[in-house]
Amino acid sequence: MVQLTGTSVRFDHVTVAYQQSVAVEDVSFELKSGEFLGIIGPNGSGKTTLLRAVLGLVRPVSGSVTVLGATGRDLTNIRRQIGYVPQRRSLDPQFPISVRDAVAMGLYPLLGLFRRPTDDERARVEQALAAVGLSDSAGHVAGHLSGGQQQRLLIARALVQEPQILLLDEPTSAVDVATRFTIVDLVRKLHAERGLTTLYVTHDVNEVLPCVDKVLYINRSLRAFGSCVQVLNRETLESLYGGRVIFAEDGGRRYVVVGDSHA
Amino acid sequence: MLDFLHYGFMQRAILSSVVVGTTCSCIGVFVVLRGMAFAGSGLAHAAFGGVALGFLLAVNPLFAAVLFCLGTAGLIQVASRRAQLRMDAAIGIFFAFAMALGVLFIGLMKRYDARVYGYLFGNVLGVTAGNLVLMAVLGLAVIGAVGLLYRQLKFLTFDEDMAEASGLPTGFLAVLLLGLLALTVVVSLKTVGIILVEALLVTPAATAYQLTHRYGMMFILSWIAGVTSCVSGLIISYVLGIPSGAAIVIVATALFALAALFSPKRRKCRVCGRESVA
Repeated sequence: MVQLTGTSVRFDHVTVAYQQSVAVEDVSFELKSGEFLGIIGPNGSGKTTLLRAVLGLVRPVSGSVTVLGATGRDLTNIRRQIGYVPQRRSLDPQFPISVRDAVAMGLYPLLGLFRRPTDDERARVEQALAAVGLSDSAGHVAGHLSGGQQQRLLIARALVQEPQILLLDEPTSAVDVATRFTIVDLVRKLHAERGLTTLYVTHDVNEVLPCVDKVLYINRSLRAFGSCVQVLNRETLESLYGGRVIFAEDGGRRYVVVGDSHA
Repeated sequence: MLDFLHYGFMQRAILSSVVVGTTCSCIGVFVVLRGMAFAGSGLAHAAFGGVALGFLLAVNPLFAAVLFCLGTAGLIQVASRRAQLRMDAAIGIFFAFAMALGVLFIGLMKRYDARVYGYLFGNVLGVTAGNLVLMAVLGLAVIGAVGLLYRQLKFLTFDEDMAEASGLPTGFLAVLLLGLLALTVVVSLKTVGIILVEALLVTPAATAYQLTHRYGMMFILSWIAGVTSCVSGLIISYVLGIPSGAAIVIVATALFALAALFSPKRRKCRVCGRESVA
Protein backbone atom coordinates (compact mmCIF):
# COMPACT_ATOMS: atom_id res chain seq x y z
CA MET A 1 0.00 0.00 0.00
CA VAL A 2 1.55 3.33 -1.06
CA GLN A 3 1.64 6.06 1.55
CA LEU A 4 0.36 9.23 -0.06
CA THR A 5 2.05 12.08 1.73
CA GLY A 6 2.66 15.58 0.49
CA THR A 7 2.08 17.23 -2.84
CA SER A 8 4.28 16.08 -5.66
CA VAL A 9 3.00 18.22 -8.52
CA ARG A 10 0.82 21.33 -8.43
CA PHE A 11 -0.39 23.50 -11.28
CA ASP A 12 -1.85 26.87 -10.21
CA HIS A 13 -3.78 28.60 -13.02
CA VAL A 14 -1.03 27.71 -15.49
CA THR A 15 -1.11 29.08 -19.02
CA VAL A 16 1.61 28.09 -21.49
CA ALA A 17 1.99 29.64 -24.91
CA TYR A 18 4.33 28.94 -27.83
CA GLN A 19 4.90 32.26 -29.60
CA GLN A 20 1.37 33.55 -30.24
CA SER A 21 -0.42 30.25 -29.76
CA VAL A 22 -1.82 29.19 -26.37
CA ALA A 23 -1.11 25.51 -25.74
CA VAL A 24 -2.45 25.19 -22.19
CA GLU A 25 -4.88 27.66 -20.64
CA ASP A 26 -5.59 28.25 -16.96
CA VAL A 27 -4.97 24.69 -15.77
CA SER A 28 -5.01 23.92 -12.06
CA PHE A 29 -4.63 20.54 -10.38
CA GLU A 30 -2.71 18.88 -7.61
CA LEU A 31 -1.15 15.43 -7.47
CA LYS A 32 -0.09 13.77 -4.24
CA SER A 33 3.11 11.80 -3.85
CA GLY A 34 2.69 8.26 -5.19
CA GLU A 35 -0.48 8.94 -7.17
CA PHE A 36 -0.97 7.67 -10.73
CA LEU A 37 -2.48 10.27 -13.06
CA GLY A 38 -3.79 9.38 -16.50
CA ILE A 39 -3.81 12.35 -18.89
CA ILE A 40 -6.19 12.14 -21.84
CA GLY A 41 -7.14 14.54 -24.61
CA PRO A 42 -7.17 14.86 -28.38
CA ASN A 43 -4.11 15.65 -30.51
CA GLY A 44 -2.79 19.14 -29.88
CA SER A 45 -4.68 19.48 -26.59
CA GLY A 46 -1.62 20.29 -24.48
CA LYS A 47 -0.86 16.89 -22.95
CA THR A 48 2.83 16.93 -23.86
CA THR A 49 3.04 20.58 -22.86
CA LEU A 50 1.87 19.61 -19.36
CA LEU A 51 4.75 17.13 -19.08
CA ARG A 52 7.25 19.66 -20.42
CA ALA A 53 6.00 22.20 -17.88
CA VAL A 54 6.61 19.66 -15.08
CA LEU A 55 10.18 19.29 -16.35
CA GLY A 56 10.61 23.04 -16.56
CA LEU A 57 11.32 22.84 -20.30
CA VAL A 58 8.57 25.38 -20.92
CA ARG A 59 7.73 28.28 -18.61
CA PRO A 60 4.16 29.40 -18.00
CA VAL A 61 3.22 32.88 -19.16
CA SER A 62 0.98 33.01 -16.10
CA GLY A 63 0.45 30.87 -13.05
CA SER A 64 2.97 28.60 -11.41
CA VAL A 65 4.10 24.99 -11.59
CA THR A 66 5.42 23.47 -8.38
CA VAL A 67 7.18 20.11 -8.50
CA LEU A 68 8.60 18.49 -5.34
CA GLY A 69 8.52 21.92 -3.73
CA ALA A 70 10.48 23.64 -6.53
CA THR A 71 9.05 26.29 -8.80
CA GLY A 72 10.17 28.62 -11.57
CA ARG A 73 13.85 28.39 -12.47
CA ASP A 74 14.44 25.89 -9.64
CA LEU A 75 12.60 23.27 -11.71
CA THR A 76 15.80 22.87 -13.75
CA ASN A 77 17.63 21.69 -10.64
CA ILE A 78 15.19 18.91 -9.84
CA ARG A 79 15.02 17.39 -13.31
CA ARG A 80 17.29 14.64 -12.05
CA GLN A 81 14.48 13.48 -9.80
CA ILE A 82 12.09 13.14 -12.71
CA GLY A 83 12.25 10.18 -15.06
CA TYR A 84 10.93 11.08 -18.50
CA VAL A 85 9.90 8.65 -21.22
CA PRO A 86 9.24 10.79 -24.29
CA GLN A 87 6.79 10.12 -27.05
CA ARG A 88 8.40 7.39 -29.03
CA ARG A 89 10.55 8.13 -31.96
CA SER A 90 12.92 5.61 -33.42
CA LEU A 91 16.43 5.51 -32.06
CA ASP A 92 19.11 6.07 -34.68
CA PRO A 93 19.85 2.54 -35.95
CA GLN A 94 23.33 3.61 -37.02
CA PHE A 95 24.47 5.14 -33.73
CA PRO A 96 27.30 3.08 -32.22
CA ILE A 97 25.92 2.42 -28.75
CA SER A 98 24.81 -0.67 -26.90
CA VAL A 99 21.54 -1.04 -25.03
CA ARG A 100 23.46 -1.06 -21.74
CA ASP A 101 25.27 2.18 -22.57
CA ALA A 102 22.04 3.85 -23.69
CA VAL A 103 20.37 2.93 -20.39
CA ALA A 104 23.44 4.07 -18.42
CA MET A 105 22.97 7.56 -19.85
CA GLY A 106 20.24 7.97 -17.28
CA LEU A 107 23.05 8.26 -14.71
CA TYR A 108 24.96 11.04 -16.48
CA PRO A 109 23.11 13.98 -14.94
CA LEU A 110 23.94 12.52 -11.51
CA LEU A 111 27.65 12.07 -12.20
CA GLY A 112 28.76 15.57 -13.12
CA LEU A 113 32.05 16.15 -14.92
CA PHE A 114 34.60 14.05 -13.06
CA ARG A 115 32.87 11.32 -11.10
CA ARG A 116 32.79 7.80 -12.46
CA PRO A 117 29.82 5.52 -11.71
CA THR A 118 30.10 3.54 -8.49
CA ASP A 119 29.52 -0.21 -8.34
CA ASP A 120 26.06 0.48 -6.93
CA GLU A 121 25.22 2.75 -9.84
CA ARG A 122 26.44 0.18 -12.35
CA ALA A 123 24.29 -2.38 -10.57
CA ARG A 124 21.31 -0.03 -10.96
CA VAL A 125 21.79 -0.16 -14.71
CA GLU A 126 21.65 -3.96 -14.65
CA GLN A 127 18.62 -3.88 -12.35
CA ALA A 128 16.84 -1.45 -14.67
CA LEU A 129 17.58 -3.71 -17.64
CA ALA A 130 16.22 -6.69 -15.72
CA ALA A 131 13.12 -4.76 -14.62
CA VAL A 132 12.15 -4.10 -18.25
CA GLY A 133 13.23 -7.50 -19.54
CA LEU A 134 16.19 -6.34 -21.64
CA SER A 135 19.06 -8.10 -19.84
CA ASP A 136 19.57 -10.51 -22.72
CA SER A 137 19.74 -7.65 -25.23
CA ALA A 138 22.13 -5.49 -23.18
CA GLY A 139 25.01 -6.02 -25.62
CA HIS A 140 23.02 -5.34 -28.77
CA VAL A 141 23.01 -2.10 -30.73
CA ALA A 142 20.31 0.10 -29.22
CA GLY A 143 18.98 1.25 -32.58
CA HIS A 144 18.45 -2.32 -33.74
CA LEU A 145 15.82 -3.11 -31.12
CA SER A 146 12.17 -3.46 -32.06
CA GLY A 147 9.75 -0.61 -31.32
CA GLY A 148 8.50 -2.18 -28.10
CA GLN A 149 12.03 -2.97 -26.93
CA GLN A 150 13.15 0.60 -27.61
CA GLN A 151 10.28 1.85 -25.50
CA ARG A 152 11.36 -0.46 -22.68
CA LEU A 153 14.91 0.87 -23.08
CA LEU A 154 13.61 4.41 -22.58
CA ILE A 155 11.73 3.29 -19.46
CA ALA A 156 14.88 1.60 -18.11
CA ARG A 157 16.87 4.77 -18.72
CA ALA A 158 14.32 6.76 -16.75
CA LEU A 159 14.41 4.22 -13.88
CA VAL A 160 18.20 4.31 -13.54
CA GLN A 161 17.92 7.82 -12.13
CA GLU A 162 15.77 6.43 -9.27
CA PRO A 163 13.27 9.19 -9.88
CA GLN A 164 10.51 10.31 -7.57
CA ILE A 165 8.27 11.19 -10.49
CA LEU A 166 7.83 9.26 -13.74
CA LEU A 167 6.47 10.98 -16.84
CA LEU A 168 5.38 8.85 -19.78
CA ASP A 169 4.22 10.46 -23.02
CA GLU A 170 2.12 7.96 -25.02
CA PRO A 171 4.56 5.11 -24.34
CA THR A 172 2.49 2.65 -26.36
CA SER A 173 2.07 4.66 -29.54
CA ALA A 174 3.27 2.88 -32.67
CA VAL A 175 3.61 -0.54 -31.01
CA ASP A 176 1.47 -3.61 -31.55
CA VAL A 177 -1.33 -4.60 -29.19
CA ALA A 178 0.57 -7.36 -27.41
CA THR A 179 3.52 -5.07 -26.76
CA ARG A 180 1.16 -2.38 -25.55
CA PHE A 181 -0.12 -4.67 -22.79
CA THR A 182 3.47 -5.56 -21.87
CA ILE A 183 4.45 -1.94 -21.47
CA VAL A 184 1.34 -0.98 -19.52
CA ASP A 185 1.77 -3.95 -17.17
CA LEU A 186 5.40 -2.97 -16.68
CA VAL A 187 4.49 0.63 -15.78
CA ARG A 188 1.75 -0.58 -13.45
CA LYS A 189 4.18 -2.94 -11.72
CA LEU A 190 6.85 -0.25 -11.36
CA HIS A 191 4.36 2.18 -9.91
CA ALA A 192 3.13 -0.41 -7.40
CA GLU A 193 6.63 -1.55 -6.37
CA ARG A 194 8.36 1.82 -6.20
CA GLY A 195 5.53 4.16 -5.27
CA LEU A 196 6.44 6.56 -8.07
CA THR A 197 4.27 9.57 -8.72
CA THR A 198 3.30 8.75 -12.29
CA LEU A 199 1.88 10.95 -15.04
CA TYR A 200 0.85 8.86 -18.05
CA VAL A 201 -0.34 10.47 -21.28
CA THR A 202 -2.47 8.25 -23.47
CA HIS A 203 -5.07 8.29 -26.21
CA ASP A 204 -6.58 5.05 -24.95
CA VAL A 205 -8.23 5.27 -21.54
CA ASN A 206 -8.43 1.47 -21.37
CA GLU A 207 -4.67 1.33 -20.90
CA VAL A 208 -4.76 3.10 -17.60
CA LEU A 209 -8.24 2.35 -16.23
CA PRO A 210 -7.02 -0.49 -13.94
CA CYS A 211 -4.24 1.50 -12.30
CA VAL A 212 -4.91 5.24 -12.21
CA ASP A 213 -5.82 7.13 -9.06
CA LYS A 214 -6.92 10.19 -11.02
CA VAL A 215 -7.66 11.19 -14.59
CA LEU A 216 -7.09 14.58 -16.16
CA TYR A 217 -8.92 15.45 -19.38
CA ILE A 218 -7.43 18.42 -21.17
CA ASN A 219 -8.31 20.14 -24.41
CA ARG A 220 -6.23 23.26 -24.08
CA SER A 221 -8.08 24.06 -20.90
CA LEU A 222 -8.90 21.63 -18.13
CA ARG A 223 -12.14 19.81 -18.97
CA ALA A 224 -12.19 17.40 -16.06
CA PHE A 225 -9.99 16.23 -13.21
CA GLY A 226 -10.75 13.63 -10.57
CA SER A 227 -11.23 9.93 -10.05
CA CYS A 228 -12.10 7.55 -12.89
CA VAL A 229 -15.72 7.51 -11.79
CA GLN A 230 -15.88 11.30 -11.76
CA VAL A 231 -14.15 11.88 -15.08
CA LEU A 232 -14.77 8.88 -17.29
CA ASN A 233 -18.48 9.28 -17.78
CA ARG A 234 -20.30 9.01 -21.09
CA GLU A 235 -20.56 12.77 -21.61
CA THR A 236 -16.83 13.39 -21.09
CA LEU A 237 -15.73 10.46 -23.22
CA GLU A 238 -18.04 11.27 -26.10
CA SER A 239 -16.74 14.84 -25.98
CA LEU A 240 -13.19 13.49 -26.04
CA TYR A 241 -13.63 10.95 -28.81
CA GLY A 242 -16.24 12.75 -30.84
CA GLY A 243 -18.34 9.63 -31.23
CA ARG A 244 -20.55 7.15 -29.46
CA VAL A 245 -19.01 5.41 -26.48
CA ILE A 246 -20.01 2.04 -25.11
CA PHE A 247 -19.04 0.70 -21.69
CA ALA A 248 -18.41 -3.01 -21.54
CA GLU A 249 -17.53 -5.30 -18.70
CA ASP A 250 -15.58 -8.53 -18.89
CA GLY A 251 -14.13 -10.54 -16.06
CA GLY A 252 -14.91 -7.83 -13.57
CA ARG A 253 -13.02 -5.25 -15.58
CA ARG A 254 -14.61 -2.24 -17.28
CA TYR A 255 -13.71 -1.23 -20.82
CA VAL A 256 -14.51 1.78 -22.94
CA VAL A 257 -15.26 0.89 -26.54
CA VAL A 258 -15.16 3.72 -29.03
CA GLY A 259 -14.38 4.59 -32.65
CA ASP A 260 -11.16 6.55 -32.31
CA SER A 261 -11.53 10.05 -33.77
CA HIS A 262 -9.85 13.23 -32.59
CA ALA A 263 -11.06 16.80 -32.42
CA MET B 1 66.16 6.69 -46.98
CA LEU B 2 64.96 8.27 -43.75
CA ASP B 3 67.51 11.10 -43.92
CA PHE B 4 64.70 13.61 -44.43
CA LEU B 5 63.68 13.03 -40.81
CA HIS B 6 66.75 14.96 -39.72
CA TYR B 7 65.51 18.18 -41.29
CA GLY B 8 63.80 20.63 -38.95
CA PHE B 9 61.01 21.43 -41.41
CA MET B 10 60.25 17.70 -41.73
CA GLN B 11 60.15 17.20 -37.97
CA ARG B 12 57.76 20.11 -37.63
CA ALA B 13 55.69 18.72 -40.48
CA ILE B 14 55.41 15.30 -38.82
CA LEU B 15 54.51 16.80 -35.44
CA SER B 16 51.91 19.04 -37.01
CA SER B 17 50.51 16.04 -38.90
CA VAL B 18 50.10 14.19 -35.61
CA VAL B 19 48.39 17.21 -34.02
CA VAL B 20 46.06 17.69 -36.97
CA GLY B 21 45.30 13.98 -37.33
CA THR B 22 44.51 13.71 -33.63
CA THR B 23 42.37 16.82 -33.38
CA CYS B 24 40.40 16.28 -36.57
CA SER B 25 39.77 12.62 -35.83
CA CYS B 26 38.44 13.51 -32.37
CA ILE B 27 36.00 16.20 -33.49
CA GLY B 28 35.28 14.18 -36.62
CA VAL B 29 33.35 11.63 -34.54
CA PHE B 30 30.77 14.33 -33.72
CA VAL B 31 30.85 15.64 -37.29
CA VAL B 32 29.86 12.19 -38.57
CA LEU B 33 27.37 11.23 -35.83
CA ARG B 34 25.63 14.61 -35.63
CA GLY B 35 25.65 15.30 -39.36
CA MET B 36 27.86 18.39 -39.04
CA ALA B 37 29.83 17.91 -42.26
CA PHE B 38 28.39 21.04 -43.83
CA ALA B 39 29.22 23.01 -40.69
CA GLY B 40 32.83 21.88 -41.00
CA SER B 41 32.95 22.90 -44.64
CA GLY B 42 31.31 26.23 -43.87
CA LEU B 43 33.72 27.08 -41.08
CA ALA B 44 36.67 26.10 -43.26
CA HIS B 45 35.53 28.57 -45.91
CA ALA B 46 34.93 31.17 -43.22
CA ALA B 47 38.56 30.73 -42.18
CA PHE B 48 39.54 32.14 -45.57
CA GLY B 49 38.09 35.49 -44.49
CA GLY B 50 40.16 35.33 -41.31
CA VAL B 51 43.37 34.44 -43.12
CA ALA B 52 42.87 37.29 -45.60
CA LEU B 53 42.19 39.70 -42.72
CA GLY B 54 45.39 38.57 -41.05
CA PHE B 55 47.43 39.34 -44.16
CA LEU B 56 45.67 42.69 -44.61
CA LEU B 57 46.41 43.74 -41.01
CA ALA B 58 49.87 42.11 -41.02
CA VAL B 59 49.06 39.90 -38.05
CA ASN B 60 49.41 36.12 -37.72
CA PRO B 61 46.79 34.75 -40.16
CA LEU B 62 46.04 31.82 -37.87
CA PHE B 63 45.17 34.14 -34.97
CA ALA B 64 42.86 36.08 -37.26
CA ALA B 65 41.38 32.82 -38.52
CA VAL B 66 40.61 31.72 -34.94
CA LEU B 67 38.63 34.91 -34.28
CA PHE B 68 36.89 34.75 -37.65
CA CYS B 69 35.89 31.10 -37.30
CA LEU B 70 34.65 31.51 -33.73
CA GLY B 71 32.73 34.62 -34.75
CA THR B 72 31.14 32.78 -37.67
CA ALA B 73 30.24 29.83 -35.45
CA GLY B 74 28.56 32.24 -33.05
CA LEU B 75 26.62 33.97 -35.81
CA ILE B 76 25.48 30.61 -37.19
CA GLN B 77 24.19 29.57 -33.78
CA VAL B 78 22.43 32.89 -33.15
CA ALA B 79 20.84 32.92 -36.59
CA SER B 80 19.59 29.36 -36.35
CA ARG B 81 17.96 30.03 -32.96
CA ARG B 82 16.82 33.66 -33.13
CA ALA B 83 15.94 33.80 -36.82
CA GLN B 84 14.60 30.23 -36.56
CA LEU B 85 16.59 29.11 -39.55
CA ARG B 86 17.60 25.55 -40.22
CA MET B 87 21.26 25.11 -39.37
CA ASP B 88 22.33 24.41 -42.97
CA ALA B 89 20.73 27.66 -44.16
CA ALA B 90 22.50 29.63 -41.44
CA ILE B 91 25.81 28.01 -42.38
CA GLY B 92 25.23 28.76 -46.07
CA ILE B 93 24.60 32.43 -45.34
CA PHE B 94 27.60 33.07 -43.13
CA PHE B 95 30.23 31.00 -44.85
CA ALA B 96 29.49 32.79 -48.12
CA PHE B 97 29.59 36.11 -46.25
CA ALA B 98 32.97 35.26 -44.71
CA MET B 99 34.35 34.16 -48.10
CA ALA B 100 33.15 37.43 -49.64
CA LEU B 101 34.87 39.35 -46.86
CA GLY B 102 38.03 37.40 -47.63
CA VAL B 103 37.88 38.45 -51.28
CA LEU B 104 37.28 42.04 -50.17
CA PHE B 105 40.27 42.00 -47.79
CA ILE B 106 42.52 40.63 -50.55
CA GLY B 107 41.32 43.44 -52.83
CA LEU B 108 42.18 45.98 -50.13
CA MET B 109 45.75 44.72 -49.73
CA LYS B 110 48.30 47.19 -51.04
CA ARG B 111 50.59 44.49 -52.29
CA TYR B 112 49.61 41.12 -53.67
CA ASP B 113 50.66 38.31 -51.33
CA ALA B 114 50.44 34.83 -52.84
CA ARG B 115 50.85 33.25 -49.41
CA VAL B 116 47.17 33.85 -48.71
CA TYR B 117 46.30 31.36 -51.43
CA GLY B 118 48.69 28.87 -49.86
CA TYR B 119 46.10 28.44 -47.13
CA LEU B 120 43.59 27.18 -49.66
CA PHE B 121 45.42 23.91 -50.23
CA GLY B 122 47.84 23.83 -47.29
CA ASN B 123 51.58 23.30 -47.14
CA VAL B 124 52.56 21.13 -44.23
CA LEU B 125 56.24 21.49 -45.10
CA GLY B 126 55.92 25.23 -44.49
CA VAL B 127 54.79 24.90 -40.86
CA THR B 128 56.89 27.17 -38.66
CA ALA B 129 57.71 26.63 -34.98
CA GLY B 130 55.25 29.37 -34.09
CA ASN B 131 52.51 27.72 -36.17
CA LEU B 132 53.24 24.41 -34.46
CA VAL B 133 52.95 25.88 -30.98
CA LEU B 134 49.61 27.51 -31.81
CA MET B 135 48.31 24.31 -33.40
CA ALA B 136 49.38 22.26 -30.39
CA VAL B 137 47.72 24.65 -27.93
CA LEU B 138 44.46 24.74 -29.88
CA GLY B 139 44.57 20.98 -30.40
CA LEU B 140 45.06 20.36 -26.69
CA ALA B 141 42.20 22.71 -25.88
CA VAL B 142 39.87 20.83 -28.24
CA ILE B 143 40.83 17.38 -27.01
CA GLY B 144 40.79 18.50 -23.40
CA ALA B 145 37.27 19.87 -23.75
CA VAL B 146 36.04 16.69 -25.44
CA GLY B 147 37.67 14.56 -22.75
CA LEU B 148 36.22 16.62 -19.93
CA LEU B 149 32.73 16.58 -21.40
CA TYR B 150 32.90 13.08 -22.87
CA ARG B 151 29.68 11.79 -21.27
CA GLN B 152 27.73 14.98 -21.78
CA LEU B 153 28.65 15.20 -25.47
CA LYS B 154 27.81 11.51 -25.89
CA PHE B 155 24.31 12.06 -24.46
CA LEU B 156 23.86 15.22 -26.54
CA THR B 157 24.87 13.40 -29.71
CA PHE B 158 22.74 10.30 -29.11
CA ASP B 159 19.53 11.96 -27.90
CA GLU B 160 19.54 15.75 -27.58
CA ASP B 161 15.91 16.02 -26.46
CA MET B 162 16.38 13.54 -23.64
CA ALA B 163 19.68 15.11 -22.64
CA GLU B 164 17.87 18.43 -22.21
CA ALA B 165 15.01 16.78 -20.32
CA SER B 166 17.59 15.19 -18.01
CA GLY B 167 18.98 18.59 -17.07
CA LEU B 168 22.05 18.82 -19.30
CA PRO B 169 22.76 22.33 -20.72
CA THR B 170 22.28 21.20 -24.30
CA GLY B 171 22.21 24.72 -25.76
CA PHE B 172 25.62 25.47 -24.27
CA LEU B 173 27.03 22.10 -25.35
CA ALA B 174 25.84 22.56 -28.95
CA VAL B 175 27.46 26.00 -29.12
CA LEU B 176 30.63 24.64 -27.54
CA LEU B 177 30.81 21.83 -30.09
CA LEU B 178 30.53 24.31 -32.93
CA GLY B 179 33.29 26.38 -31.33
CA LEU B 180 35.53 23.32 -30.98
CA LEU B 181 34.90 22.54 -34.64
CA ALA B 182 35.96 26.09 -35.52
CA LEU B 183 39.22 25.68 -33.58
CA THR B 184 39.86 22.30 -35.24
CA VAL B 185 39.50 23.90 -38.67
CA VAL B 186 42.15 26.48 -37.77
CA VAL B 187 44.49 23.75 -36.44
CA SER B 188 44.31 22.06 -39.86
CA LEU B 189 44.70 25.06 -42.16
CA LYS B 190 48.45 24.92 -42.68
CA THR B 191 48.47 21.16 -43.19
CA VAL B 192 45.60 20.40 -45.56
CA GLY B 193 44.25 23.86 -46.33
CA ILE B 194 40.78 25.32 -46.44
CA ILE B 195 39.54 23.30 -49.40
CA LEU B 196 40.49 19.89 -48.06
CA VAL B 197 40.12 20.21 -44.28
CA GLU B 198 36.58 18.92 -44.64
CA ALA B 199 37.99 15.56 -45.70
CA LEU B 200 40.03 15.23 -42.51
CA LEU B 201 37.01 16.12 -40.42
CA VAL B 202 34.85 13.44 -42.00
CA THR B 203 36.90 10.62 -43.51
CA PRO B 204 38.85 9.20 -40.52
CA ALA B 205 35.70 9.16 -38.35
CA ALA B 206 33.69 7.65 -41.18
CA THR B 207 36.38 4.99 -41.50
CA ALA B 208 36.11 4.21 -37.80
CA TYR B 209 32.34 4.08 -38.09
CA GLN B 210 32.69 1.20 -40.55
CA LEU B 211 34.66 -0.83 -38.06
CA THR B 212 32.85 -0.64 -34.75
CA HIS B 213 29.50 -0.40 -32.97
CA ARG B 214 31.14 1.01 -29.85
CA TYR B 215 31.13 4.74 -29.31
CA GLY B 216 34.42 4.85 -27.39
CA MET B 217 36.20 2.58 -29.85
CA MET B 218 35.11 4.92 -32.65
CA PHE B 219 37.36 7.64 -31.17
CA ILE B 220 40.34 5.30 -31.01
CA LEU B 221 39.92 3.96 -34.54
CA SER B 222 39.30 7.47 -35.89
CA TRP B 223 42.55 8.59 -34.28
CA ILE B 224 44.48 5.72 -35.86
CA ALA B 225 42.98 6.50 -39.28
CA GLY B 226 43.56 10.25 -38.91
CA VAL B 227 47.19 10.11 -37.79
CA THR B 228 48.03 7.36 -40.28
CA SER B 229 46.53 9.42 -43.11
CA CYS B 230 48.36 12.59 -42.11
CA VAL B 231 51.83 11.12 -41.46
CA SER B 232 51.86 8.68 -44.36
CA GLY B 233 50.35 11.31 -46.67
CA LEU B 234 53.10 13.70 -45.62
CA ILE B 235 55.85 11.18 -46.36
CA ILE B 236 54.30 10.25 -49.70
CA SER B 237 54.01 13.94 -50.66
CA TYR B 238 57.69 14.52 -49.80
CA VAL B 239 58.95 11.47 -51.67
CA LEU B 240 56.78 12.01 -54.77
CA GLY B 241 56.87 15.80 -54.72
CA ILE B 242 53.10 16.21 -54.75
CA PRO B 243 50.95 18.60 -52.66
CA SER B 244 50.73 17.37 -49.06
CA GLY B 245 47.04 18.16 -48.57
CA ALA B 246 46.06 16.10 -51.59
CA ALA B 247 48.28 13.18 -50.54
CA ILE B 248 46.81 13.14 -47.03
CA VAL B 249 43.24 13.16 -48.29
CA ILE B 250 43.90 10.45 -50.86
CA VAL B 251 45.40 8.18 -48.17
CA ALA B 252 42.46 8.90 -45.86
CA THR B 253 39.99 8.05 -48.61
CA ALA B 254 41.83 4.83 -49.43
CA LEU B 255 41.64 3.78 -45.77
CA PHE B 256 37.92 4.51 -45.78
CA ALA B 257 37.43 2.42 -48.91
CA LEU B 258 39.25 -0.53 -47.33
CA ALA B 259 37.25 -0.21 -44.12
CA ALA B 260 33.95 -0.04 -45.99
CA LEU B 261 34.91 -3.04 -48.11
CA PHE B 262 35.86 -5.26 -45.18
CA SER B 263 33.53 -3.79 -42.55
CA PRO B 264 32.64 -6.27 -39.78
CA LYS B 265 29.25 -4.53 -39.56
CA ARG B 266 28.24 -6.60 -42.55
CA ARG B 267 28.52 -9.74 -40.42
CA LYS B 268 25.48 -10.82 -38.43
CA CYS B 269 24.94 -13.19 -35.53
CA ARG B 270 24.32 -16.65 -36.90
CA VAL B 271 21.84 -17.40 -34.11
CA CYS B 272 19.57 -14.34 -33.98
CA GLY B 273 20.47 -12.60 -37.21
CA ARG B 274 21.25 -9.39 -35.37
CA GLU B 275 24.46 -7.45 -35.45
CA SER B 276 26.01 -7.56 -32.01
CA VAL B 277 28.18 -4.86 -30.50
CA ALA B 278 31.72 -5.47 -31.74
